[in-house]
Amino acid sequence: MSPGTIASSIADGLLIGIVYGIAAMGLSLIWGVMSVINLTHGALISLGMFGVYLLFTTFGLNPYLALIVVAFFGLLLGVLIYLIAIARVIDAPHLSSLLATFSVNMIIIGLGTAIFTTTPRDTGFSLGSVQIGPVTLQGTRLVAMVVTLIVAGALYAFLYRTRTGKYIRAVANNRAAAELMGIPSTAILALSFGIGTMLAAIAGGLISTFFSFTILSGGIYELKSFIIVVLGGLGNPLGALVGGLILGVLEGVLPLTMPNTWVPVIEFLLFVFILLVRPSGLLGGK
Amino acid sequence: MSILEIRDLAAGYGEVQILWGPSLSLEEKKLTCLVGGNGVGKTTLLRTVMGLVRPWKGSIRFDGKDISGTPAYTKADLGLVLVPEGRQLFTEMTVEENLEMGATNRRARPNIKKNLERVYTMFPRLKERRWQKAGTLSGGEQQMLAVGRGIMAEPIVLMIDELSLGLAPVLTLQLFQSLRQLRQEGLTILLVEQNVQMALAISDYGYVLAEGRVEMEGPARELAHNPHIRAAYLGL
Repeated sequence: MSPGTIASSIADGLLIGIVYGIAAMGLSLIWGVMSVINLTHGALISLGMFGVYLLFTTFGLNPYLALIVVAFFGLLLGVLIYLIAIARVIDAPHLSSLLATFSVNMIIIGLGTAIFTTTPRDTGFSLGSVQIGPVTLQGTRLVAMVVTLIVAGALYAFLYRTRTGKYIRAVANNRAAAELMGIPSTAILALSFGIGTMLAAIAGGLISTFFSFTILSGGIYELKSFIIVVLGGLGNPLGALVGGLILGVLEGVLPLTMPNTWVPVIEFLLFVFILLVRPSGLLGGK
Repeated sequence: MSILEIRDLAAGYGEVQILWGPSLSLEEKKLTCLVGGNGVGKTTLLRTVMGLVRPWKGSIRFDGKDISGTPAYTKADLGLVLVPEGRQLFTEMTVEENLEMGATNRRARPNIKKNLERVYTMFPRLKERRWQKAGTLSGGEQQMLAVGRGIMAEPIVLMIDELSLGLAPVLTLQLFQSLRQLRQEGLTILLVEQNVQMALAISDYGYVLAEGRVEMEGPARELAHNPHIRAAYLGL
């Protein structure tokens, strides 16, 4: 095994890992703000993939412009899902919201399978590649990393610098007190769910520029998101990005030493191990 | 003139009725206190007025308008502000962010700078700790922040639930003095307290709540000298 192969694997892993990270960030944000485990996450990642794919293949829209459209509709869809399916069970025990998001997931997957079938799709989009020493980096993956960093930075600026962002943190911290201050908490929760959904859709859209996919592909990334969120600490969106990088590098490097089929086994062993020794996550505070 | 008028209020949780028809009336620009033992419904009364608990019966009129049953987040816009029991701060946010959240409502938002100065003048400790997370403050500082956050909302009526709870006597005294100052500046205050003696000492008018009903009411000075109150609540 040459150092060049290892370097390539690590670079690939980092580039893909950061995209996993942004998907996990959405999951983590929703949990952090409203303590809902969003089982719609995978389906929304899939919808993001189809959104970019369809806008690109039918209208010839540049995938990165398509991504803006997808992000907007992702936000809207998330707000709708919250208001229709989750708002009424938000104060019920966790199982209710878990089942509510699971139901929405089944609806999307069912409709998606009927409309799109499960034949793999591929955008067939390419930006060429960059050669740095022995390492070849695909253009689409580099752009995906840049987009992810911009989105993550924008999310942080939004949460810490804007009034609405501070409302989200206030509602996450103490919903009853936020209501007393005059913050309409239902609207803020709907917005937070929308942002979480938007992050899932953006991640899906980015992934669709370099991997083929079906309506079911999102499920795999949802599972990865759970591992990442546990790595990074549930409810800690920045931790999710770091967790994504860790998982990405593992996925890059592990196949060099063992058959590919063993990779998920190792990943989930890690998941269980962290849950056992550090249930709050590697970077989790509480 | 009375600004907040509560009539025959009934409320509770699930099947359990807590409030059995108390009626209260808050005089404008006066400090009114609501005292009574543990579990007589003082906090439930405040939560019902704010809309965190739905009233079963009775009316709550603020400035002449019936506000019973309207959601909690609409109360701050009216000028009805509660400093809740247990402070309920945004512990993960900084002191200044907490104060900023206090100024969410429409009337207070344009005056946020002026009110920040007002709060920092009243509680200089908060200014020293403005970038610190609220959860890292001491109990007394947290109570100052809770009151400060209430002031940021530019209340017309400020309701405070258990100002002195868990505080050292010297801090309690300091906070009670700030209340007097606010009252002199023309704020209408409803103070809910277990520390009956101190509450009656600084108030203009008092209500005694027992088993969800108003047991007694009158000018605070008279209540403080009432033999029944002295025996039941002051241990004299």
